[in-house]
Amino acid sequence: MNKRLLHAILIATVIVIIASCSDRLDMEDATHALLVGFDLDKENELILYSTSPVFSKNVEKKTRELRVKPQTNRQSRGKQDSYTEGVFQGRSIQVLLLSKRILQQENWFQLTDVWFRDPKNPLTPRIIAFDGPLSEIIYLNPKDQPMLPILLREMVETKNARSETVKTTLQGLHQQIREKGVTPIISEVRLKDKQIAITGTTLLDHKGKYADSLNMQETILLRILQKNTKKSVNLTIPIPGEMKIGPFHTDKVSLNADEIKVKIKTSFLKDKFQFHMHITMRVGLSELLFPFDVRSQGKELENKITEQVQMNFENLIKKIQTDKIDPIGLGLYAQAHEYSHFKKVEDHWGETLANADIHVSVKTIIGAMGTVK
Amino acid sequence: MKKYAYNEITSMQYIFLNSGIQVSVFFLAMPGKLAEKAGTDGWIALIIGWAITVAASLIVIQVMKKHPEGTLFDLIARYLGKWAGRVAAIFFALYLFYYAYTGLVEAVLLTKAWLLPQTSASTVMLLLLIPTYVIARNGLRVLGRYAELVYMISLWIPFVYLFPLKDAHWLNMVPLLKEGWKPVFSAVPTTFFSYIGFATTFILYPFLKNKQKASSAILISDTLTMLGYLFITVICFVYYSPDEIQKYNEPVVNILEAIEFNFVERMEVLFIAFFLLIFSLAWIPTIYMGVFCTSWLLGKQDHRNHLRILWLITALSTFFFIPTFNQNDRMNDFLIQIGIGIEYVFPGCLLVYLWVQDRFQWGKRL
Repeated sequence: MNKRLLHAILIATVIVIIASCSDRLDMEDATHALLVGFDLDKENELILYSTSPVFSKNVEKKTRELRVKPQTNRQSRGKQDSYTEGVFQGRSIQVLLLSKRILQQENWFQLTDVWFRDPKNPLTPRIIAFDGPLSEIIYLNPKDQPMLPILLREMVETKNARSETVKTTLQGLHQQIREKGVTPIISEVRLKDKQIAITGTTLLDHKGKYADSLNMQETILLRILQKNTKKSVNLTIPIPGEMKIGPFHTDKVSLNADEIKVKIKTSFLKDKFQFHMHITMRVGLSELLFPFDVRSQGKELENKITEQVQMNFENLIKKIQTDKIDPIGLGLYAQAHEYSHFKKVEDHWGETLANADIHVSVKTIIGAMGTVK
Repeated sequence: MKKYAYNEITSMQYIFLNSGIQVSVFFLAMPGKLAEKAGTDGWIALIIGWAITVAASLIVIQVMKKHPEGTLFDLIARYLGKWAGRVAAIFFALYLFYYAYTGLVEAVLLTKAWLLPQTSASTVMLLLLIPTYVIARNGLRVLGRYAELVYMISLWIPFVYLFPLKDAHWLNMVPLLKEGWKPVFSAVPTTFFSYIGFATTFILYPFLKNKQKASSAILISDTLTMLGYLFITVICFVYYSPDEIQKYNEPVVNILEAIEFNFVERMEVLFIAFFLLIFSLAWIPTIYMGVFCTSWLLGKQDHRNHLRILWLITALSTFFFIPTFNQNDRMNDFLIQIGIGIEYVFPGCLLVYLWVQDRFQWGKRL
């Protein structure tokens, strides 16, 4: 009898407890934003865009775009709620789009605090810079493409696999901004004749401010220096001395580089950091637009390619040094090998790197010429 | 006479029990705390802390060898008189209750922060306390089996932590000893946080089936704890930059947010839920041993009534008061201070005293 009573009490307690679990959300009460965009208007006031999918039979358009003017990121949620039938949810954000005007500000990164502080939010949205006001791309909705968040996400995913852009997530950006020996690098999207295109990467400085843009080829080179290439990479380079015939760029050769080895040596000499980078690439020819006897004069072509690739690397490094940034992460090497010297300059590492001596030496080996001579 | 024979535990169960108490809730914050003190050299402090802990736990075993058939209190009662034994039992009970309560509160706060932000703390506490009672009322053998089970089903966790390694920066780890030995040594007391709990051997020892293996068992158990901590600390250090890691309260959880599978979002939430099983090893055995102490005090064999009273007090108190994160931090700091006293200093003093007494046969009371 006593035992029965005990069981009854136990069951009653459990029922009461389970019923009082208040953390549930019904699907139809939620609006899941897949994309969030930050922009500034002409008066430098924050505008927040979002794109969320609409699950309804009678609605023709598959997505809903919202534009609100909140003071903070978290505050925007309330404002967006007033336009939607559900409660605005941040937990499935896939893409964070940043306009150039935002990136021209310092400390915009502070806006993302809510995503780090509130653990309900994911830290995996891809960060993408857009060259222009966001209203152009958000409302574009081309009929022949998937919805914008999915399109952008997949673009970053696939181009990242080919090293043509980077996949920087919110967490990754946080790491790159906090780390003193490296500056952030994010994907870049532009509108070209009303078509959305990934054009490479945007480089930011230590404070998250816009510094420069890289096209796809430069991005590939940068990722080689970062030792961060996936699979093989494609490069197309001009060979000087070859004729350009007609409207076609017949002086070009395309390479397929794999087995890329990068060695970076760090030293500190004469009050300057010295970096020596040795890059060894095994390349396969994938396209040759001028007549050349690769079989007999392969060595000559190899030298020309080496020279060109080396020049490309040097230009890239020059660009980085003029911008006073360090997307390669040479600061990490400096910290690892010359700790005491690095510690003194870590707070203005970009400027220090601008004065450093960086030498690149490239060695390319033609490993394959393809199926034709 | 074997007083505790009906509840013997195997060496394996002992290893997991001890290691489980050591790992506990503080596991999540450890890499961040180490980085605060010693930067990326914090892992060296972990190894030093381990060496000290091994020494201290071997001392505990040596002490217990003097009176293998009883707990610490039986031993103290024999050497120092009945009242000394009682005082020791009271202190130990208080320490163990405090240990359990701190662990429980931390688990509740974590669950609320990561899993159920809108559910009240007292509800979460009740949800945690129900299985606690179910397991703790059964005695040590069941506890040992529970510890074994939790360890076995947690074996896959380290493999998931290898995923973030693809974004790791191994260069963060060099140069070794960036700022010299000083910060490393200053971090050693922090590492004791990860090791305290081995003093439960004082109570567990008489239950051991195989007492000859006690020394090696505790050595294995400490090493297991050390390897776990070392693993997670190194992973956090190479994944986060040395400055960034200090920005997170629980870097061990945050690191999981980076993992992305197409079929599941927000991995870390699943983990927190699973971690609760591991964390439970911090408070279930300590609660059990706490009530064991009080039962010993009153000379009773059955600990369940005490457990029920304690359970009710804990459950009811959460309706009125639950510490905040900051208060919990202070509770942790206090815990480590008394922990160092009870687990590192006290056994050493006791051993010296026992040795002196045996040697000169001052007290021939026996």
